[in-house]
Amino acid sequence: MHEASIAQSLLDIVIETAQKNNALKINAVNLIIGKLSAVDTDALKTAYDVLKEDTIASESILNIKLIDIKGECLDCGFVSMYDTYYFKCKQCSSYNVIILEGEELSIQDIEVE
Amino acid sequence: MSKKVEVKEGILSKNQQIADNLRSLFKDKNVFVINFVSSPGSGKTSILEKILPQLKEQFKIFVIEGDLQTENDAERIRKTGVDAYQITTNGACHLEAAWVEKVISDLNLDEIDIIIIENVGNLVCPSSFDLGEDLKLVVVSTTEGEDKPIKYPSMMRVSSAFVLNKIDLVPYLNFDVEKCINYARAVNNNLIFFKISCYSGEGLEDLKNWIAQKTYEKIGR
Repeated sequence: MHEASIAQSLLDIVIETAQKNNALKINAVNLIIGKLSAVDTDALKTAYDVLKEDTIASESILNIKLIDIKGECLDCGFVSMYDTYYFKCKQCSSYNVIILEGEELSIQDIEVE
Repeated sequence: MSKKVEVKEGILSKNQQIADNLRSLFKDKNVFVINFVSSPGSGKTSILEKILPQLKEQFKIFVIEGDLQTENDAERIRKTGVDAYQITTNGACHLEAAWVEKVISDLNLDEIDIIIIENVGNLVCPSSFDLGEDLKLVVVSTTEGEDKPIKYPSMMRVSSAFVLNKIDLVPYLNFDVEKCINYARAVNNNLIFFKISCYSGEGLEDLKNWIAQKTYEKIGR
């Protein structure tokens, strides 16, 4: 349950960014989270909703764009999506697969007024 | 009127910043830092108890212990003759870079070759928090089940070495060693594997030698 720590870090960054842009209120926070990032999005939303109370983000909505896992085989070059956490090339069976997408844990933008 | 403001920052960028600072400090001071991660009870402290007596003959070592409560693990380490500091997180399930920074601020890094951080026993959360270490070493024990690597892929992804502990128990368990290692390899093909037992001593020499070699590679002597 490290989602509370992640939510606090997130809140600190978005409030700081909003203040730097002279905003009075944050309406929405848009995140990109990869499926390999070990973050439970429901727990993150719950933690965020508790922590945002009494801040300029108190009415903000957390929008999360989940990113599927995409890997590329370095032996045969085959690029594929992976539903399971078993990155064996679907074309040549090599384990030499690098992850192109799916490890994201970032804030895309915020909507403020 | 609502407007969009681009952020394009990592959610954990504050932790990352501190970790980056620590990493450059460790580089300047020639300190090799290794972060031990695993689920509770897989044997992180036992492994340290076994390898520290020999490692301390070659290097000056400091251990940072992370647990929710008690000073027990730091005391176990001190009995090997290596100095240790216990961080009690009071419920937090992982260590953060800021806490390591605080411990480091009281140390004379010129007098230290290796810092070993034993993270809170947890195969999920510590994977998200960089502590400025050179590498993470994940410990999985045979009593936990061979599918741990695919159940906890994030930790496998961020680790450099995979230590399979309690290998002496395999004859009594329904545990397929090769299957476990193949799972881990399929999640992270760059992992280096060690099969060890703190009970029989199997594999401990190889692990100790690897840590020594990695330390020499960094501190250059």
